Amino acid sequence: MDFRDRTVLVTGAGRGIGAAIARAFAAAGATVAVNYRQDADSAEAVAAACRAAGGDGWAVRADVTDPDAVRALVDAVAGETGRIDAVVNNAFRPYRFDPERRRTFTDTTWDDYRSQVDGAVHATYLVCRAALPVMLRHPGGSIVNMASDLVARPTVPYHDYTTAKAALIGFSRTLAADLGPLGIRVNCVAPGLVHPTDASRSTREEVREAIIAQTPLRRIATPDDVAGPVLFLASDRSRFMTGQTLYVDGGLVMG
Amino acid sequence: MREVAGYLPGLDPDSVAWRTLAFGRGGTDLEVAVPELTPAQVAALAERVRAHARSVLKTMPVAEVVTAVDAAVARLLDRDDPWRRRAERLLPLVTGYDAEMVRHGLTSYLKTFRKPELLRFLAEDFANPGVLDDFQPVPKGGFARAFGPDLLLHVWAGNVPGLPLWSLVCGLLVKAGGVGKVPSAEPLFAGWFARLLAEVEPRLAGCLAVVWWKGGDAEREAEWLRRADTVLAYGSTASLEALRARVPVTTRFLPYGHKISFALVSHAALDPHTVRATARGVAHDVARWDQQGCYSPHVVYVERGGGVDPRGFARHLAHELACQAIRFPRRALDPGDAGGVAAWRHAEEMQGVADPARELLADPAGAWAVAYADRPQPLAPCGLNRTVTVVAVDRLDDALPCVAPFRPLLQTAAVAAPPRELFRIAGLLGAAGVTRVCAPGAMAAPEAGWHHDGRFNLSDLVAMAEIDRGAELAADALAPYRD
Repeated sequence: MDFRDRTVLVTGAGRGIGAAIARAFAAAGATVAVNYRQDADSAEAVAAACRAAGGDGWAVRADVTDPDAVRALVDAVAGETGRIDAVVNNAFRPYRFDPERRRTFTDTTWDDYRSQVDGAVHATYLVCRAALPVMLRHPGGSIVNMASDLVARPTVPYHDYTTAKAALIGFSRTLAADLGPLGIRVNCVAPGLVHPTDASRSTREEVREAIIAQTPLRRIATPDDVAGPVLFLASDRSRFMTGQTLYVDGGLVMG
Repeated sequence: MREVAGYLPGLDPDSVAWRTLAFGRGGTDLEVAVPELTPAQVAALAERVRAHARSVLKTMPVAEVVTAVDAAVARLLDRDDPWRRRAERLLPLVTGYDAEMVRHGLTSYLKTFRKPELLRFLAEDFANPGVLDDFQPVPKGGFARAFGPDLLLHVWAGNVPGLPLWSLVCGLLVKAGGVGKVPSAEPLFAGWFARLLAEVEPRLAGCLAVVWWKGGDAEREAEWLRRADTVLAYGSTASLEALRARVPVTTRFLPYGHKISFALVSHAALDPHTVRATARGVAHDVARWDQQGCYSPHVVYVERGGGVDPRGFARHLAHELACQAIRFPRRALDPGDAGGVAAWRHAEEMQGVADPARELLADPAGAWAVAYADRPQPLAPCGLNRTVTVVAVDRLDDALPCVAPFRPLLQTAAVAAPPRELFRIAGLLGAAGVTRVCAPGAMAAPEAGWHHDGRFNLSDLVAMAEIDRGAELAADALAPYRD
């Protein structure tokens, strides 16, 4: 897959899965806007890795749940390269994946749900709204939204997080139906548990082992495993696919 | 980054000459300062440890020693503890092992040193652990008490994180003053533990020391050898033989040399369901510490007649090793290790070309390899660093003649078999010289209190002092209350 002369915006790319996606795009020649919220040093390191990988990259700070910040983010990217060919909505509200300390349904407040929906759907909404006019300047744009295989199989019932990701899948399908006639594709990538990342640090080894035992490909995902399907959905290789969700969990969920 | 290795109670660090060992992976450099002691400093340190062992350690009930070790180990098991964080950060840099493997391996190892496990250690070797505290009645009549050495010298080797803890704890449990020589390949962990132990139990601060000398520095080594009551050493056969020759004849010498381990898989562990867990366990054993342990398997003997044939098992094993390579990547090999792997792979490849009964399944990137042989092969060391041979046998018994010639080197055998077969084959393996039978997946995690290389870890360290029954009777005759 060749992303030379293409510009890709990856949100939440300062670490973990987003960083792996940014590096993979850069290795395929892309210019990558490495969006981050807090850790400038880490994002700068990812941008440097993008440049070292053969593409280009720079770090752009923005809280993607803040409309003004998102507008400024898109303006900055458009100002730098004049185009956005792909957007990867990867940022999410910080969440602790810890089966032992998860909130049960009784303990989950509506504010918890709202907070996750804001982190997943509102942020994606804002970025898509802002980026769409720039994406339409060139044919063949692609939006990839990061969901979760927990929507299909709630291995651990993280109520607020999974509900928000389910909403994101519905949002993506609807957007795909709307933007298809304009040549913009919208798809989701739904990873299983990904390790190592900061969010999965507190998931115990025994939980990982239990998931592995159920997984046909016999391990859990790494951040790099997730990058491949994202690149595929952002590339012309998937030009006749829209509204789809690709599960990247070693076969734990099929369908 | 710079880290200071060793633990030298009573010595002013400014009076010590420090040598720097350089480590570094992935762009992060780490300098480790190791102490080079003068003969006078060796003498002072040895005297201090010996004196503290006598005045402090030997007067503490063993239960208090257990409590102190348990408290230190609890700190190391706490992932938010500064010592634990330091270990998770620096040990991958020093050893090259994958950070996740170090984290996971440390926890599974350290938890075998909690209080219940330490009590198990004691119970394994002493019917009544009270013999470590005071004279206890013995069945033949009279009384006996176990005394550990005043000065136990540990000579550690290799780079498996945490390994020194084993003998260090054994020494503490028998109340021996301990001086340990760390290997250049992993000079940090033992010193950290000694400092941490002094933190949680200040009374023990002077009872341990952790030192370094360059391998082959006979002069410095001799300073220590002549001061120790007992020397416990790990290493290759050659290095242990050389060391043995230099240990004074009156000093007890306990060598733990290189060993070779293997696995046996019964046809019962090879149906389409159980084969997954079996292959997974064996792959874990191969990948853990990149086969640098004495318990790491080199050959897997696989019985015909199961739902999956031995060649099919080799393919399952190959896939599991590929998964391990992603989850716990192998460390970067130095040229010597890489050469060993390349030579082994080349030889196996050549055999595969010449002989359709042999095959090599290998990672194109070189991170692992499984050789397959369709007929019995003698137990032969593999190329290490995640290389292993799967050998098909008609019956598990056919593996015995393959391993028997290596009797002095045998250690662990992982056995996947139903209960009756497990005990039957364990009898044959024990007779052939195997000292530990475990489940696949557990080779690198010996249980607390196992008899390392078939020896008694604690009772090998002590001398029994006995009071004859006759002495008791004679004393009675002198009692002030006699009639």
